[in-house]
Amino acid sequence: MADFLMPKAHHGKFRALIVFAFLMYFIPRYSVAQTILLRGQVKDNQGNPLAGVTVVEKGTTNGSYTDDRGNYVLQGVRPDATLVFSIVGMKPLEIPVTGKSNVNATLESATVGLNEVVAIGYGTVKKQDLTGAVSSVDGDVIAQRKTARVSQALQGSMPGMMVTRSGGAPDASATVRVRGVTTIGNSDPLVIVDGVPGTLDWVNPNDIESISVLKDAASASIYGARAAAGVILITTKRAKAGQMKLTYNYEYGVDKPTRVAKNADARTYMRVLNERNWNDGGNVQGNEFPIYPQSVIDNYDELSKQDPGKYPNTNWQDLIFRKSTDHQSHRLTLTAGSDKIRSLFSLDYDRNNFLYDGRNYNRIMFRSNNDVRLNNLFSVSIDLQGIYSEDREPGETFSPSPSSYGVGPVYAAMWPDGRVAPGKSGENTYALAKYGGFSKTTAKEIGGKLSLDFTPIKALKITGTVAPELYSSKGKRFTKQIPYTNYDDPDFIAGYITGATSTSLSESRPDNYSFTTQLFANYVNSFGKHNINAMLGFENYYYFSESLNASRENYILSSFPYLDLGNENYQYNSGSAYENAYRSVFGRILYNYNNRYFLQVNTRMDGSSRFAKQYRWGTFPSISAGWAISQESFMKGVRWLSYLKLRGSWGTLGNERIGNYPYQSTIGFGSTLVYQGSQIVSAQDAAVSQYAIPNISWETTETFDIGADFAFLDSRLTATVDYYKKTTRDMLLDLEIPDYIGLDDPSQNTGKMYTKGWGIEASWRDRVGKVRYSASVNLSDSRSVMGDLGGTQFIGSQVKFKGSEFNEWYGYKSDGLFQTTDDVKNSPTLNSNVGPGDVKYEDLGGASGTPDGKISSEYDRTLLGGSLPRYLYGGNIHVGYGSFDFSASFQGVGKQISQKTAAMVEPFLAQYIEVPQLIIGKYWSHYNTDEQNLKARYPRVSNVGNSNNYAFSDYWLFNGAYFRLKSVTLSYNVTERLCQRLRISSAQVYASGTDLFSLDHYPKGWDPEASSYWVMKSIIFGISLGL
Amino acid sequence: MKYKMLFFIVATFLCSCNKLDLNPLSEGSSENWYENETEIQMAVLKLFNIDYWDAALTRIASGSGGYSHQWTEAFTDNWTARATLTEIDGATINSQTSFVNITWQNAYRCIAAANRVIMNMDRARGTVSDDKLELYEANSRFARASQFARLIFYYGDVPYYTGILSIDEAFDMSRTPKAQVLDSVYADYDYAIAHLPTSYGAGNYQLATKGAALALKGRIALYMGDYAIARDALEDCIQLGVYSLYPDYGKLFLSSTKNSQETIFANPRSVDLGVELPPSGRAKEPLPRIVGGFANGGPSWDLLCSYLCTDGLPIDKSPLFDPHDPFKNRDPRCDETIVPFGSQWLGFVYQPHPDSLKTLNLNTGGLVANSDNRAVDQYASYNGLVWKKGIDEDWLDLKTDPDNIVIRYADVLLMYAEAKIELNDIDPSVLDAINQVRARAYKVDYKDVSSYPAVTTTNQGELRTILREERRMEFAFEGTRYADLIRWHLAGKALNNHPIYGMLDPGDLRTKVVDKGLWFFPSKPDIDVDGLPDFTKMYEAGQIKLLVQRKFDTTKQYLWPIPATEIEINPNMSQNEGY
Repeated sequence: MADFLMPKAHHGKFRALIVFAFLMYFIPRYSVAQTILLRGQVKDNQGNPLAGVTVVEKGTTNGSYTDDRGNYVLQGVRPDATLVFSIVGMKPLEIPVTGKSNVNATLESATVGLNEVVAIGYGTVKKQDLTGAVSSVDGDVIAQRKTARVSQALQGSMPGMMVTRSGGAPDASATVRVRGVTTIGNSDPLVIVDGVPGTLDWVNPNDIESISVLKDAASASIYGARAAAGVILITTKRAKAGQMKLTYNYEYGVDKPTRVAKNADARTYMRVLNERNWNDGGNVQGNEFPIYPQSVIDNYDELSKQDPGKYPNTNWQDLIFRKSTDHQSHRLTLTAGSDKIRSLFSLDYDRNNFLYDGRNYNRIMFRSNNDVRLNNLFSVSIDLQGIYSEDREPGETFSPSPSSYGVGPVYAAMWPDGRVAPGKSGENTYALAKYGGFSKTTAKEIGGKLSLDFTPIKALKITGTVAPELYSSKGKRFTKQIPYTNYDDPDFIAGYITGATSTSLSESRPDNYSFTTQLFANYVNSFGKHNINAMLGFENYYYFSESLNASRENYILSSFPYLDLGNENYQYNSGSAYENAYRSVFGRILYNYNNRYFLQVNTRMDGSSRFAKQYRWGTFPSISAGWAISQESFMKGVRWLSYLKLRGSWGTLGNERIGNYPYQSTIGFGSTLVYQGSQIVSAQDAAVSQYAIPNISWETTETFDIGADFAFLDSRLTATVDYYKKTTRDMLLDLEIPDYIGLDDPSQNTGKMYTKGWGIEASWRDRVGKVRYSASVNLSDSRSVMGDLGGTQFIGSQVKFKGSEFNEWYGYKSDGLFQTTDDVKNSPTLNSNVGPGDVKYEDLGGASGTPDGKISSEYDRTLLGGSLPRYLYGGNIHVGYGSFDFSASFQGVGKQISQKTAAMVEPFLAQYIEVPQLIIGKYWSHYNTDEQNLKARYPRVSNVGNSNNYAFSDYWLFNGAYFRLKSVTLSYNVTERLCQRLRISSAQVYASGTDLFSLDHYPKGWDPEASSYWVMKSIIFGISLGL
Repeated sequence: MKYKMLFFIVATFLCSCNKLDLNPLSEGSSENWYENETEIQMAVLKLFNIDYWDAALTRIASGSGGYSHQWTEAFTDNWTARATLTEIDGATINSQTSFVNITWQNAYRCIAAANRVIMNMDRARGTVSDDKLELYEANSRFARASQFARLIFYYGDVPYYTGILSIDEAFDMSRTPKAQVLDSVYADYDYAIAHLPTSYGAGNYQLATKGAALALKGRIALYMGDYAIARDALEDCIQLGVYSLYPDYGKLFLSSTKNSQETIFANPRSVDLGVELPPSGRAKEPLPRIVGGFANGGPSWDLLCSYLCTDGLPIDKSPLFDPHDPFKNRDPRCDETIVPFGSQWLGFVYQPHPDSLKTLNLNTGGLVANSDNRAVDQYASYNGLVWKKGIDEDWLDLKTDPDNIVIRYADVLLMYAEAKIELNDIDPSVLDAINQVRARAYKVDYKDVSSYPAVTTTNQGELRTILREERRMEFAFEGTRYADLIRWHLAGKALNNHPIYGMLDPGDLRTKVVDKGLWFFPSKPDIDVDGLPDFTKMYEAGQIKLLVQRKFDTTKQYLWPIPATEIEINPNMSQNEGY
C-alpha cells in the first residue's frame, strides 16, 4: 500500500536514504552488541542481479544497498535477526539470518509488468494504477537497437508508434507519430526529457533508463499544450546508492547497404536513348539510330578499352561508393552512489563513416546526473548534458536516387590520365564530391536541469525546476572551383563543373536557447482504503532563435576557407530572429479505492504567445477511470487470470505549432534593384506576404479511449488492448486560399479530422530450467479521415480533403498501356502527344459530371487509397542461458500502398541521368512483339510521353508491406570467477546484426525505407568492461 | 523556517514568468505601416521587383520546389533544344503546369501589393505631400495594370479587383470578362500616364515613367486588337521625344549597355547585388560547348531562314541567298543573333562543319578539339546554330547582368506601325517607323533609303507580312515571339506544320551532304506568306534530320488554363475551353 502512494520512483530510495542516514548515526551504539558481518547477493526471478535493493535488519535502522552485481555487505547484524529486502516494483522479502554469514535472496515481482513504475509527467505511477493509455519500453531495448539516434530505435517498439526512416544515415532522424496522424499541421509528439521539453535525438540511447509514451488524452493532457500528437517521456539513468563502478564499452560495426539498385550499362543506355529519340521523332524507318550509330553501340566495350577517353564507360556507382563502411563508439560510464550523493557520469564518442569519401558524422555526448540530499527537508538534483557533433560532407552528397550520383555511363568522370572530365556538360557529381570543397556543420548543445525538492511534511513534496538549454551551430560550406578539360585538349580549360563554377564560402551561425521553469507539488496520502495522489503545478517556457549568415564569392585561392579572403565585391549577409513563449497551470488527482476503482482527473491551462491576447488561453481537461475486476472477491477463484483491469478515458489536448506570429499581418522585407540616376542600387522593399487571421487560436484534439490490461498464468503472460477515437477540431492548417488574393496561404482554425485506431501488446516471460526467455509483440493500426476542412483542399499526388484519408493517394486511374494507334485514337487522352506504349487513363468525369472524352486533371483524378502504413507491428524475443543472452527484434508494416518513384523507374531523368536496370526488357517497345508488349510493365521510353506516363496514377502504386528483422544480438557475460582473476568486476562481449533482412515487394534494388540514404545492414562487435 | 523557504521558492518561480505578448523581431508589423514616405516607397519598390517582370524568361518550379526559369522563346519556332519540347510546343500544357501556376501567382502577388499601397496610402496623407502620393499611386496603378494586362493575355477572363480581399470575398469571386478587365487596365494606365513624370531626377529611384505607361498601354491594346487605342498611346509615346534607337543593335542587349536611350521600361540586374541572368544556372544552355556550355537551347533553322536578305527579300525570293553560305548577304541582325560559321565567338572560331575537327583558340593561337562539331562532341548543337544575341564574354562566368528590358523603343515603333497597318491607316509614319528600326540594324540613317532595303510599299497585305518578318528579326530571343504567334493566331500553323530539323549525324552528314558539296543547306527552303520556312524538300531527300515534331493544340492553347487549385477550391471559377 505504501508503495502505491509513492509519487516518484526515487521516493522509495529517498526514504531508504533517510534510513541510511540514521544508520550512520547509530552505528557506534550497535557495535557494542554481539553482531556479525553479513554478505549476500540479490537477484530477480529471471536470475538477473538486482542493484539498489534496500537490505534492512528488521526492527532496526541498520541497512545497506546492493551494488551493480546485486551484492551487499551489512555489518552489525544480530545472528537472530530477520533481513528485509525491498525495492520498488518487487515484492518485499523477509529472510531470517539464523546465524548464517551469507544470505542470498530472490525477489519476485508481484505482478510482472503491472508493478513497473511509469513516468506520467511531473511524477510517476505504478503501471497498475494507470487509467490512461501509456506504453513504456526499457532503456535496454532501445540501446540494443544500436542506432545513433533514439528516434530510429523506437521503430516497432510499442503499439501505436509509427516511425518512418528516410534511410539509414547515422545522422538522420526518423519521423515519429504516436497513434497515427492527428493534424494536418505539426504531428510531432512532444518530447520530455527528465521532465523538461527536449529533443529526441539529443539524448544518447545508452543513457536511457526508460521511455514512456502517453498516448491518450487522459495521460497526455497534463501536457495540454502541444500534447495533441502524444508525449514521449524519456527518463535517463541515475546512479543508485551503493554503486561504485566504471564501465568502458567499445563497439565496432561494419555497415553495408541492404540493397542497391543497378543501372543499365553503357550499351544499354545508348540503345535505350536511341529508342527514346526514335520514338519521339515519330518512329521513322531508317532513323533508328538517331544519336549513337549501331557500330558504336555494338563495339562499345571494345572501343572503350582502346580509347576510354573518346568512349567513356563510367560506372558512377562503383566509382563513388564503397561496398561497405564502418562505425565505432567508445563509451565510459561512472556510477557512484553514497547515502548523500549519487552521481552518474557518461561520456560517449562515436565515429560514423558513410558509403563515400568525405562524409562522416562524429559525436561526443556527455551526461552527468547527480542527486544530493541536503537534509531531511531538501534534496537537489543537478543534471547536465551536452553534445558536440560534427557533420562533414564533401562538395556533393548522395542518395540512392540515380539523379543524385551520376549521369549516364557514356560520360566520363575523369579522363584516363587523371584530369577532371566534364561528365555530362559539367554535371559531374564525382568531381564535385572529390574536389568540390566541403561542408562542415558543428553543433553544440548543452542543457542542464537544477531541481530542488522540498518535503515539508511526509506526504507533500514541492519541486522547483530550472532548465536552460543552449544550442548553437556553425556551418561552413566551402565550394571550390573545378575546371575541366576536354579529352584531347589538356591545356585548355573548357569549363567549370556545375555547382563548382567559382570558389565561394558561406557560413551560418544559428543560435537558440530555451528556458523552462517549473514549480509543482505532489501530495500523496492514504486514508483507510482511500488513496490519493494529487499534483498542482506551474510551468513557464521561453524560446529564442537567431541566425546569422554570411558569404563571399569568387575566391582566388582555394585553400583558405575563411571569409576574409573572399572577394569584397561579392559579399553577402543576412540574419533573422524570432521568439515564442508559453505559460501553463496544471493539476492532477489520482484516486483509488482499495486498488479496485480508479479515477484520474487532469486539467491544464496553457497560454501561448502565438495567439492574440483574447484568444491565447486554452484549457485541456481529461478524466479517466479504471476497474480492476480481478481484485474483486468474486474473481478470486479464477486462477488463470492474475489481473484484469478495464479502463476508459476522455480528454482534450491542444496544438499551437504554427509560425510564430500568425495573428499579426507582418511586413516582410526584401530588396529590389532599381536605377538611381545611372547607378544600380539595391533598395529595400516591403510587402505583406501572409494573410493574417487575427482570431487564430488553439487547435484541440478530443480523444476517447477504452482499454484493458490483462495478466494471465501467474503474470507470465501480460497483455494490453486499446481502442481509441480522436477528433481534431479547429485544425490549424494552411488554408488554401485563392492565389489571386496574392498572399501566402494563412494558418487558420478550420477543419476537422477523425482518427480511429487500436493497439495490442502482449508479452510472455518465463524460465524453463536454466533457460530464461521472454517475448513481446505489438500490433496497431490507425486510420485518419478528413472532415470538413472549411473549403480547404490539399491537392497533389497525396491529398487531404473532406472524406479523403489523410494524405490519400490522388491521381488518374490507369488502364494499362495503349497498345495500338487505333486504341489511342479512340480513347480520351491527357494530351495530344500520347501514343502506343503510353499509360492509358480512365475518363472518369467532366465539367458536366459525366465523362467528357478527354483526360483532365480537374475531373479525372480520383482517390486511390491511403498512403500511410497500416497494421504496424513489432516484437522482441529474448533467451538467456547461463552467461549467454540472445535477443532479436523485428518490425514491419502489414499494409501500405506505396509509389514507384521516378528515381526507381524513370529513365533519363533530367534528360541524361542513368537508366534503371529494372525496366530493361520490361518496357513497351516498338521492337517488341505484340505479345511482349501486352506483358510490358513500364511505358515506352519517350521524352514527350513523360508528362503523360509519369503523371500521378495508380499505375505506379504497389503493395509496400514489409517485414524486417531489426536486430539480433548475442552476448556473453564473462563469469564472475574469471572477472575476479582479471581484477575487474564484470566483462561482456557481444555481437549484433541490425537490419539484416526484409521481406517485401519493392522494385529490385530498393529497400522499403531507403529514400534520402540507403538502409544499412550492420554487423557490430562490442566489448564492455567494468571496474 | 520551512514556510519562509517555501515562500521563497514559490516567489522565485513565479517571478521568472516571461511575457506572452511577443512581436516579430525581424519583420515589420502591418498595423502601422504606410505611414510615412519611406514606408510607402519601400512598398512601391516591391512592385518593381524583377520577380514580377520577367521579360524573356518564364518562371517554372524546379524539381526541388524552388523557382527555375525557362526562356519563353523556347515555346516558339525560334528555338531548338535538340529533341526536347516545352509544355507549349509539346502540347502538354495543363492546369498543373508549373509556369501556368507561378505566372498567375506572381502577377497576383504584385497586384495585391499594389492594391495594398493604394488602399492604405491615406494613412500618410498630411505627412507626405499629395504630389508624392499621386506619384506613388500612379506607379502602383502602372504595376497593377501591367500585371492584369499580362494575365488577360495569357488566361483570358480573370478575377479582377482593386481592394484588399478578405477570404470570404475571394471565394465569392469569379472570372471577370477580359474586355471589362481591359477597360480597367486602360484606366489605370491613363492615371499613370497623367501622373507619372517623363523622367526622374538623378537622385531619385527611376520607377515607371509616362513613356512606359504609354508603351505598355499600347502593347496590351495591340495584343487585344484595340488598334486605335494602341495607335494613339504609341503615337503619344513616340511624340514624347524622350526615346531613340540605340545605334548598335548588337551591343544593345549586352550587360555593358545599361539603361540606354532605347529602354522604356526595364529592371536592372547586377551580379554584385545578387540579381543575375539567368538565374538557376541556365546560362550554359545557349553557350557553345567549347566554352563549357550545353549548346542545348539555340536558334532554330526556322529563325535562321526568316531573316531577309540585304535586298529586303525573303531567302526563297532573293538571288543573294546562298544555301551553302547561309549567313552571306543577310539582314545584319542575322549575324548579331546567330553565330555565323567561321566567325570568332567567345575566344574561338565557331565552326560546326563536320570536317573542322580542330578549331582556333584565339587566346592561345593554338588549335584545339572543336567540340562544337558533332563529329567531335555528339552533343554539339544539333542544327549547327548557337545564340549570339545578348551574349558576350561576360557570360563565361555563367552569371551576367544585362537589363531585363520589358519594353524598348523599337517595339513601340513596330507596334505603332502594326496598329496603323491593321487600321489600314497607312501613311508615311508607318514606313518611317519600320524603316527606322531596319535602318538602325544597317547602322544607317533611315532617310538614306539607298543604303539599306527600305520599305516602300503601302499595300496593307504586303506591309503586314513585312512587319511580321521585321518583328521576328528584331526581337528574336527577347520573348516576344510567343506573344506574336498567339495574337496573330499563327501558333498552330507555325508549330504543327514545322517540325524541328537538324543536321544528319556526322557519318551521314559527310556522305550525303558534305561530300556532295551541299553543306550547309542542301537547297533553298520555301518561305510562305507568314514568313515560315518549309524544309520538307530537304527532309524528303534524306539530307536533313527531323529531330522532333512540334505540336500545338489550336482548340485550346491560344489561352493558358486557369491553375487547377483555383478551380478546385472555388466553385465560381471556370476553366478555359479545352482544358
